[in-house]
Amino acid sequence: MDVGTLAFSALYQFGDAFAFLVLSACGLAVIFGMMGVINLAHGEFIMCGAYVTVSAAHAGVPLPLAILLGAVVSGLVGAVVEIVVIRHLYDRPLDTIVATWGLSLIGTQGTLILLGSTMAGVGTPFGSFSVGGYSYSVYRLVLFVMAVVVLGGLYALFNWTRFGVMARATIQVPHMAAALGVDTRLVYSLTFALGAGLAGLAGGLYAPTMTLVPTMGTTFIMEAFVTVVVGGADVFLGTAPAAALLAVVKATMTSWYGQLFGQIGLLVAVIIVIRVLPRGISGLLLRERA
Amino acid sequence: MNALTRFFRRLEGPQTLGRGPLFWLGFVVAVACAMAYPLVSDGYTVGNTVYFFTWIFMALGLCLIWGYGGSLSFGQTAFFGIAGYSYGILTINFGAAYGFTFIALVFAVMLAALFAALIGYFLFFGRISGVFLGIVTLSVTLVLERFMAQTAGPEWKIGSARLNGFNGMSNMPPLTLPWPGGDIVLFPDVELYYVVLAMLVVIYLALRILVNSRFGNVLVAIRENPERAEMLGYDIRKYQLGTFVIGAALAGLSGVLYTSWGQYITPSSMGMTAAALPIVWVAVGGRSDLTTTLIGTVTVLAVFQALTIHGSQYALVVMGAMLVLTVLLAPSGLIFALARLVARPFAKRQPGDV
Amino acid sequence: MPLLETRALNKRFGGLHVTNNVDLALEVGQVHCLIGPNGAGKSTLFRLILGEHPPSSGAILFAGEDITALKPFQRIRRGMSVKFQVPGIFKALSVRQNLEIAMQHHYDPATLREEIGALLDFLNLTADAGRLAGNLSHGQKQWLEIGMAVSLKPRLLLLDEPTAGMSPEETHATGEMVKRLNAEGMTVLAVEHDMAFVRQVADQVTVLHLGKVFAQGTIDAIVADERVAAIYLGQATAQEAAHDTSHAQTGGVHA
Repeated sequence: MDVGTLAFSALYQFGDAFAFLVLSACGLAVIFGMMGVINLAHGEFIMCGAYVTVSAAHAGVPLPLAILLGAVVSGLVGAVVEIVVIRHLYDRPLDTIVATWGLSLIGTQGTLILLGSTMAGVGTPFGSFSVGGYSYSVYRLVLFVMAVVVLGGLYALFNWTRFGVMARATIQVPHMAAALGVDTRLVYSLTFALGAGLAGLAGGLYAPTMTLVPTMGTTFIMEAFVTVVVGGADVFLGTAPAAALLAVVKATMTSWYGQLFGQIGLLVAVIIVIRVLPRGISGLLLRERA
Repeated sequence: MNALTRFFRRLEGPQTLGRGPLFWLGFVVAVACAMAYPLVSDGYTVGNTVYFFTWIFMALGLCLIWGYGGSLSFGQTAFFGIAGYSYGILTINFGAAYGFTFIALVFAVMLAALFAALIGYFLFFGRISGVFLGIVTLSVTLVLERFMAQTAGPEWKIGSARLNGFNGMSNMPPLTLPWPGGDIVLFPDVELYYVVLAMLVVIYLALRILVNSRFGNVLVAIRENPERAEMLGYDIRKYQLGTFVIGAALAGLSGVLYTSWGQYITPSSMGMTAAALPIVWVAVGGRSDLTTTLIGTVTVLAVFQALTIHGSQYALVVMGAMLVLTVLLAPSGLIFALARLVARPFAKRQPGDV
Repeated sequence: MPLLETRALNKRFGGLHVTNNVDLALEVGQVHCLIGPNGAGKSTLFRLILGEHPPSSGAILFAGEDITALKPFQRIRRGMSVKFQVPGIFKALSVRQNLEIAMQHHYDPATLREEIGALLDFLNLTADAGRLAGNLSHGQKQWLEIGMAVSLKPRLLLLDEPTAGMSPEETHATGEMVKRLNAEGMTVLAVEHDMAFVRQVADQVTVLHLGKVFAQGTIDAIVADERVAAIYLGQATAQEAAHDTSHAQTGGVHA
């Protein structure tokens, strides 16, 4: 392998890992950053997005639309969950986590009861291309582009829209935002729905690349956790750089020792990072301001 | 008042429900009933009851870390699995003669505790708390599950013990008591029942003493207000780490007993679903008290067992629903709320009471 | 040798200079009050002394030892103790348990009960010993926390606005407590707004303004100082603005 193909291969691996981390984590990070809540049913929202996407694709809906549908349905389910459960626990963030774990159990096992242990998938679109005699999947490049698009979209949403301004006001000084006429309950509902929808989007995007089983959420959730832990409470200053850093670790470990060691490498990296930076990367980047 | 009576006075205290003659009478009756139970039942049913008991140690450990110490440890199953696998590896390699299974038990529990000390060092000395502690510990157990699940190949063996990947390890010898005139093999039957029951009583009482001791005082102080506890001169990191290690050792004990009970352990015992169950038992019973945790765990396990007849996925849905409802409706736990209603015999003893 | 000394202590949060070259020396046996308008940097200075924030530069000495790098609990063990502005008590535990947790490492079990009893008397909380600390009145919570701080038998007692939210009677009773503790040999550093309290207890007063030591002296000298009066009078306009910006930029650190 010459230097060019080697570099491309490394870049491809990195992009693949980066996309997976960003897409897995951004829904979790939005909810954590805005509400201080870790949604342990995150994996089940991903599963929901994947199942809806694949069902829609089987019913003849074009894949991009099917993925969008998966995201929307997950978002709606998220809104319902927020109204029925989460809303009542705002003053008890640690209990919220426990409650979402209960929801996770219900989601996984309920799907198992209703839809069985596996569901026929759809093939990965676009085929492959080769560089220097090695073959690569085009769809993985699409996923990388999507990860960048999602980050850009979130940035635009939180900085340039009315919802974004209200949401940021609400996290910073909730009672002040309320006093200024912001419906903070609505903001929280929408934020949770957004996080769930992003999880659904991740599920939909990765659905064509994996087998659909009710426990598929756990494939994503560890990566999502570590990215959020390393990143801290800010999506842009935290999740994105954390994903980039962890993607290097994961891609390196994976190409040397395989998938599993990629994950072990991630976990070790996380434990070391939090020993050094208890508030994550965003804590470091924001320290001069905090 | 000498040191020994002071030690036993710690059985009652401000950190534990239950005091006075009535409570202890109830306790003695409960233990007596538990001891008489095999007389009115058959060996198979008694053996199944032991299966319940094996989990309680893990629940009590979680109660200590989460309920008393206020740290969210969502990865207790990691220690359960490490100890379970260690027991299997040790006994498959060295056999069960000369009481070695009990030495293996001790080693396996110590390994789990050591692992907890390592992880805990990074977490607590890195001042990780709250949410992050929960998700990092959960990540640890999820990674361990995946690690064990990919050990199917023949290259994954330690000595003569194959790890066997997703299918898990089996056929390790059960706990075996060396006895003059022939070892007693503790299959899931009456003998194992009495051994585990004895362990349970001893550990329950020991934990009562621990949480009512100075150590326990500091522990609840950290839960209530870590900053204030530190400003009283306590190095809270050491207390948190110590608690985490004790809790992990108890989870490890559950792991060993479970593995010995069924001669079987699989990676899924460390998965997301398995990790959720101790949370359900402890939260539903009432995490802030040892007794309500114990009663809650037995009750929830009995409900789970009854529902499993209809399929374990239905039982798990009910567990999930129970957890959500407990958090919403009785945040301190169902049994805890009930015990508070029954009142006096279950009141906590204040330090000023004589 | 002073009991507590800060040398050229500085703390910056981003571009904000919250503690600016502060030199402070507390002699043994003094009651020293720290006053200043809102945003003067009193609480930050306190947190630096306690070790909750690391200083940007400078040194802190306790009884001659450089403690700048020590963790909070290590400083406590050397003989400091603190009462926070917002009562930091264990709300879900009883009053007696609060004190027991504070005192258990300093007394053997046989005498612990008596010591707790004596302290409860001192705090006027004997009748409330069995109540949950969270159910006490605001003033009683403040006293309980003072009691927890005092129970460590510190050489230096740090009080952050000990009378905040108290009635004049409670404030006076608190002042008497401080004087008794001082008479028993305790050195006290208090951040305080209430000038009646300062007059009641203080041997020495330091005025902080915009992070700097602005004036130092006896209460009478300080009251007579026209420059001090000016910064307090001027604060209604200029200082409010300064306080608001400091709040926004320090992300909630009460400066």
